[in-house]
Amino acid sequence: MKTVMINASPKKKMSVSSYFLFLQRLFVGGKVIKEKLRNKGDHKRLLETVSEADSIVFCLPLYVDGVPSHVLMFLKELEQYCRENSLDLNVYVISNGGFIEGNQNRVLMQVFENFCNRSGINWCGGIGIGGGVMLNVMRIMFFIYFGIFLLNIISGSSLQDALIYLAKQWGIILFFNIGVLFYNIGMGTAISRGRRFGVKFTRAMMPSFLFIIVADIFFILISIFKGGIFRGWLKGSSKKSL
Amino acid sequence: MRVIVHDLGEQYNALLKNKCDELICADGKYAPCQGCFGCWTKTPEKCFIKDMLREACRVIGNADELILITQNCYGAYSPAVKNILDRSIGLSTPLSTYRAKQMHHTLRYGKHELLSVIAYGDITEAEKATFELMVQRNAVNFGFIKSKFHWSDDIEKLEEIL
Ligand SMILES: Cc1cc2nc3c(=O)[nH]c(=O)nc-3n(C[C@H](O)[C@H](O)[C@H](O)COP(=O)(O)O)c2cc1C
Repeated sequence: MKTVMINASPKKKMSVSSYFLFLQRLFVGGKVIKEKLRNKGDHKRLLETVSEADSIVFCLPLYVDGVPSHVLMFLKELEQYCRENSLDLNVYVISNGGFIEGNQNRVLMQVFENFCNRSGINWCGGIGIGGGVMLNVMRIMFFIYFGIFLLNIISGSSLQDALIYLAKQWGIILFFNIGVLFYNIGMGTAISRGRRFGVKFTRAMMPSFLFIIVADIFFILISIFKGGIFRGWLKGSSKKSL
Repeated sequence: MRVIVHDLGEQYNALLKNKCDELICADGKYAPCQGCFGCWTKTPEKCFIKDMLREACRVIGNADELILITQNCYGAYSPAVKNILDRSIGLSTPLSTYRAKQMHHTLRYGKHELLSVIAYGDITEAEKATFELMVQRNAVNFGFIKSKFHWSDDIEKLEEIL
């Protein structure tokens, strides 16, 4: 089994998609090739890579309730390529949005299904994740707590105490990811066996009203740091032409 | 204000210009969104990419009626039209709220009247259903009170539809 996992976020680093790709990778057997789709320059290389694969996993962000434009552009080329070369491929998708509800990814999944039908390849389903940005930011906490764990040991606390502390903190972070991990395991098994997985939705494990408060604080802090808050942060000007 | 976005090519500009206050020809001569949120957190309403879509959110955001004319692409917009929507998220603010019982961002320019989408090109039943759902969702996301989806097999009848 040869699987190509494509990170289709336009971001250069620290994209949320790269985090979910990393998690999914843990549960996929056989040969795995990691790829990136950021712009047109990647198309030719990607088509060549895909032509030798059994499965593709797209990891991508949700943009305005749908597929980002640079990904749509690639899908059109891939459709043509699949039909010209009669490729037989299994397609899986992991999409994530900033909003908390996982089912906001529904349209995106349907678009991929429609794409597969037109291309004559196999739609195998995917995972739609809500609150992706937050889970991505929390991955930093894994390292922070590990740092604290090391400090605890250096400063003389018992290994047992330090380990209990680490397990507790990591457990809390893992809890927020539990839905994602659950489906990652299921989809990993499906990919390895070349089976259909179906479409599932999950989210950061947090009630939405709390999530909104956290998201607001997050954007206020970033906007102070980047300066936007002092440049008409919530104001709309009335200029009306391009 | 009535705004039309279309991917029919320049030859349609003259016809469509009469039908709206602001016309955007989606010719694809612009870059896709890079996902940095700079249009919220760094330079509100402005993209760091210096092309024709730099301040697109002001036009889309100030539209009372937005008409999108697009080729069907798997039940979604053509890449050139979708690019314009992706580059327009500055019409929201970074703060969140509930709309239609789901989380969304608050609106920088307030509510709009009507989002209508006219899709053309060959389409399957499944794609039609996807498109309809997406247009409804986009309307909520961008703060349009009403939405309409129309598919046309003959774009020459465009004048009647408008
Ligand atoms: C142009 C644009 C549009 C977006 N639209 C949505 C949306 O409709 N719903 C949603 O939940 N998140 C939306 N988001 C948030 C992204 O999906 C979210 O930030 C995602 O985690 C980014 O993933 P990445 O880091 O892998 O690119 C949007 C982001 C951008 C830049």
